[in-house]
Amino acid sequence: MASVALSEAEKVYIVHGVQEDLRVDGRGCDDYRCVEVETDVVSNTSGSARVKMGHTDILVGVKAEMGTPKLEKPNEGYLEFFVDCSANATPEFEGRGGDDLGTEIANTLYRIFNNKSSVDLKSLCVSPREHCWILYVDVLLLECGGNLFDAISIAVKAALFNTRIPRVRVLEDEEGSKDIELSDDPYDCIRLSVENVPCIVTLCKIGYRHVVDATLQEEACSLASLLVSVTSKGVVTCMRKVGKGSLDPESVFEMMETGKRVGKVLHTSLQSILHKEESLGPKRQKVGFLG
Amino acid sequence: MLKSKTFLKKTRAGGVMKIVREHYLRDDIGCGAPGCAACGGAHEGPVLEPQPLDPASSLCPQPHYLLPDTNVLLHQIDVLEDPAIRNVIVLQTVLQEVRNRSAPVYKRIRDVTNNQEKHFYTFTNEHHRETYVEQEQGENANDRNDRAIRVAAKWYNEHLKKMSAENQLQVIFITNDRKNKEKAIEEGIPAFTCEEYVKSLTANPELIDRLACLSEEGNEIESGKIIFSEHLPLSKLQQGIKSGTYLQGTFRASRENYLEATVWVHGDTEENKEIILQGLKNLNRAIHEDIVAVELLPKNQWVAPSSVVLHDEGQNEDDVEKEEERARILKTAVNEKMLKPTGRVVGIIKRNWRPYCGMLSKSDIKESRRHLFTPADKRIPRIRIETRQASTLEGRRIIVAVDGWPRNSRYPNGHFVKNLGEVGDKETETEVLLLEHDVPHQPFSQAVLSFLPKMPWSITEQDMKNREDLRHLCVCSVDPPGCTDIDDALHCRELENGNLEVGVHIADVSHFIRPGNALDQESARRGTTVYLCEKRIDMVPELLSSNLCSLRCNVDRLAFSCIWEMNRKAEILKTRFTKSAINSKASLTYAEAQMRIDSAAMNDDITTSLRRLNKLAKILKKRRIEKGALTLSSPEVRFHMDSETHDPIDLQTKELRETNSMVEEFMLLANISVAKKIHEEFSEHALLRKHPAPPPSNYEILIKAAKSKNLEIKTDTAKSLADSLDRADSPSFPYLNTLLRILATRCMMQAVYFCSGMDNDFHHYGLASPIYTHFTSPIRRYADIIVHRLLAVAIRADCTYPELTDKHKLADLCKNLNFRHKMAQYAQRASVAFHTQLFFKSKGIVSEEAYILFVRKNAIVVLIPKYGLEGTVFFEEKDKPKPRLFYDDEIPSLKIEDTVFHIFDKVKVKIMLDSSNLQHQKIRMSLVEPQIPGISIPTDASNMDINEPERKKKKIEK
Repeated sequence: MASVALSEAEKVYIVHGVQEDLRVDGRGCDDYRCVEVETDVVSNTSGSARVKMGHTDILVGVKAEMGTPKLEKPNEGYLEFFVDCSANATPEFEGRGGDDLGTEIANTLYRIFNNKSSVDLKSLCVSPREHCWILYVDVLLLECGGNLFDAISIAVKAALFNTRIPRVRVLEDEEGSKDIELSDDPYDCIRLSVENVPCIVTLCKIGYRHVVDATLQEEACSLASLLVSVTSKGVVTCMRKVGKGSLDPESVFEMMETGKRVGKVLHTSLQSILHKEESLGPKRQKVGFLG
Repeated sequence: MLKSKTFLKKTRAGGVMKIVREHYLRDDIGCGAPGCAACGGAHEGPVLEPQPLDPASSLCPQPHYLLPDTNVLLHQIDVLEDPAIRNVIVLQTVLQEVRNRSAPVYKRIRDVTNNQEKHFYTFTNEHHRETYVEQEQGENANDRNDRAIRVAAKWYNEHLKKMSAENQLQVIFITNDRKNKEKAIEEGIPAFTCEEYVKSLTANPELIDRLACLSEEGNEIESGKIIFSEHLPLSKLQQGIKSGTYLQGTFRASRENYLEATVWVHGDTEENKEIILQGLKNLNRAIHEDIVAVELLPKNQWVAPSSVVLHDEGQNEDDVEKEEERARILKTAVNEKMLKPTGRVVGIIKRNWRPYCGMLSKSDIKESRRHLFTPADKRIPRIRIETRQASTLEGRRIIVAVDGWPRNSRYPNGHFVKNLGEVGDKETETEVLLLEHDVPHQPFSQAVLSFLPKMPWSITEQDMKNREDLRHLCVCSVDPPGCTDIDDALHCRELENGNLEVGVHIADVSHFIRPGNALDQESARRGTTVYLCEKRIDMVPELLSSNLCSLRCNVDRLAFSCIWEMNRKAEILKTRFTKSAINSKASLTYAEAQMRIDSAAMNDDITTSLRRLNKLAKILKKRRIEKGALTLSSPEVRFHMDSETHDPIDLQTKELRETNSMVEEFMLLANISVAKKIHEEFSEHALLRKHPAPPPSNYEILIKAAKSKNLEIKTDTAKSLADSLDRADSPSFPYLNTLLRILATRCMMQAVYFCSGMDNDFHHYGLASPIYTHFTSPIRRYADIIVHRLLAVAIRADCTYPELTDKHKLADLCKNLNFRHKMAQYAQRASVAFHTQLFFKSKGIVSEEAYILFVRKNAIVVLIPKYGLEGTVFFEEKDKPKPRLFYDDEIPSLKIEDTVFHIFDKVKVKIMLDSSNLQHQKIRMSLVEPQIPGISIPTDASNMDINEPERKKKKIEK
């Protein structure tokens, strides 16, 4: 993962600051940095979103494609995740350098979406055993400024919220062979409910305390962190420890509680900002990549 | 300003794709009205008139422009093409929709918009900032387009008002959609239906006839009886074809029997390649050349192709029962083997309607406005049209377009398009046959002519690069009399080593026609020069065909030469190709050349050269025939024309001289040499010509016919066929051999052009050559131009270009060339047939000896050797009692009363021009000898009009 080299003195400064609930950029331990979200930024996707969080910059595109359902789940569609670490983000990603990180993030995304409640996969099924929608969620890392997982999960949620899947009808003739028919109205489409899509809250153990939304510098001071995926109702769907250090059970419990609390707030503000953006309609002035 | 257009598309694999296109909006698009200050003349091409005065419409007297919607353009293109309709704004939205829905209409509207005099203006409303509309929620693509059209119409009206208040210029929206019209009027746009508007043009009443009748009200009056079963919708057809329940194919109506058709199934399946359809209901409103979906009938309903000749002559519209009775005639008992897959049309995948030439059969009811139209092509059903000018159109050749074929109508509905001229008039008839055979015959456009070399033309230094100077050689050309497009010349001289040098020099057309320019494209489209009896439709402009490329004598011309070194036994020692400059010393006719060879007194260079060539040609021919080349025969006729009136005054079969075959031998040799060379150089994309061996079943008729005369014809190889044809001789019947050769010709397949990379069978069956191409007539065949280019690249005399080495492009080109060649042949035959009619018109009635060529169920086909004329003698006539007919398919023979007709029997027939019978004047033949009471006609010609009074009586009875 992208990292920065810090001197011992700098580390001590950061650790002592966290101890006093005062971080280098002035935040408290439970505060997020300012998050910028914009949806519908890539016109040839079914849904897209871009999230900027400090120096972290993420672009997510969702592409809906027609396919056949998985054998074990004949009446459900499914999601596929792919993470591309652009060499623009950091020179380490050049060549195949970002592949390991990409796979790690993709696997984490598979895990947090691997439950019935997160997305209504049944609504993606067009005709059981034959046709379903596959949502290809492509994540592109444009810049790494710490706390990748949280930013990616926010962007994925926003992109799924923005996703519009064309409405299709299945025509069946006497012989039973099926054919799909597409409506010629581009507005005639289905939306996904993102009510239960979880977000990841990463809690970094720094010294005796833990912080959310760590910057790169803070991450360098942490030996272990905990990923907690939380739904808008505060339900923890998945948890994972990263880093080489260890955590004692008591602090894990503490971190989970903080995760739930912070996650709920994160969801409400994300939800409200997405709805606000949507209400502006097609007349909205897009910021895009030039803003 | 940048917008993006998004739409969804279904891919063939069943996926769904989202496509996003950038769409730029501009504010510098002109409105097309001259003098508009706001637009400042920012428009190109033909524009509208500032003060459109005509046509005077009673609905809107003030000057106005028209703005039609898509359906009006699609269906009423014939009206819009009329010179009376001018000043029309064609929106880009409309144009795009038309383009998607009908390519022919699109091409026609493009032609109209390009015509300066029509003042049609194409307004790119989709890119105009103020007229662009985006698809809204809950609106489908059609609604959006309708709205876009209305927005543009509204914008125009406001825009023109701004331009000059006193002018009162208006834009009138023409639509046939009732809802759309209502909406437009609501928005304050003056709107009319096409019918309303055309009817208001009091000065041009004839326009009403050109309106396509699509109004639903019209159909309600008709008898509600439904004759045909419904066509299935396209989606169902596609599903059916996918699952194999239906078969997709091209519908081909029978020329001889209007109740029968075959469908050629697309694809590679061996079985059920050809499906027979019989009876009106099974044909189900399909018209010749349509792409249809057919359903196979169960095996117990299969039928055999009938050999009955049946023409649709019913005047009454809905006597369906009678039709069924007729259909029953077709189903005679036949043995099991003859049964072919039979089916019925369940739906139409694509209509291939075109405007049809033909004549009006005026309705019996006086003052009726509905009349039937009989197309010249017998494969097309009669079409019902509505016209008020029936009496003026009677006896004239007209063009009619089909609009539709409702389920309750015996005939399709159509509308009048154009009046070509009087029947029997030479100009009109020529026009008809050119149109019917799809021969492009318009004068060459300015764009094409602009690529011609500037006159006076002479050979320059530049031209001589990569070119050999052969002007010193004693070259001469031998052609039929009156030939102005001389594309080949020959020479022969003795070399120092005693061998002979023979040169074939072909006009270097590819020097003048450079790849890809308008001249090249037009020539490629025409494909071939079409020779009619008194007219030639050139493939290249006259300057080239009759002057610069024509190898006339005593002028310097560019040529492409093929030069062989041969020994006296005509064995080729060396072959060389080069671009050259030649100067022909003499342009001879076949007869002149023959005379030179024969007269001992002449011994000049040209004559000795001809003699040598002749000698070599004889050896070459002998060798070719030994290899199994076929000498076939087809009756060819030549007319002697009156020099003033251009009427045919005499008819004779073509005479063949030694010199004909001399030229032919060397052309064959050159073609074969070139074919070898280009195939060697370009194994994947050489343009070659092949003649496939016919399947053995084709020969059945020939073998049967020969057997009846106790002769054996072997058909296993070309060689054995040639040999057995040579042996087939009967001392008592000298003409038999020719007849057999004529029949053998009919058994052959068509020779076709193909691209060597797309095929692996190159054999030319008729010439018994393993490889063949066309090189020797580039003035009149486009294939030769391509071969010239290939050869020029092969000998590094010219550079190549991408299309030349693209085998798919070449294959497409071959397809067009094959089609044009076939059509040219048909047009030629039709022209001969028409002139034969003219000839017999002047000649009156003649009795001639004839031979039976084919025996049909109710008729015999005879050939009259004297005129090389073929005709059918019918034995069943409508108004006469039916004779006892017995048809034996095995022999084949036809027994009428007590007389038996076999193939090749000699009969005597009377030939006359039958103009009593409605539309088609035709050569009518009736039997004179052998005499059969009640059928043959007495030998004396006193009661020649025997049919005439009877037919008239019949009409009164009705």
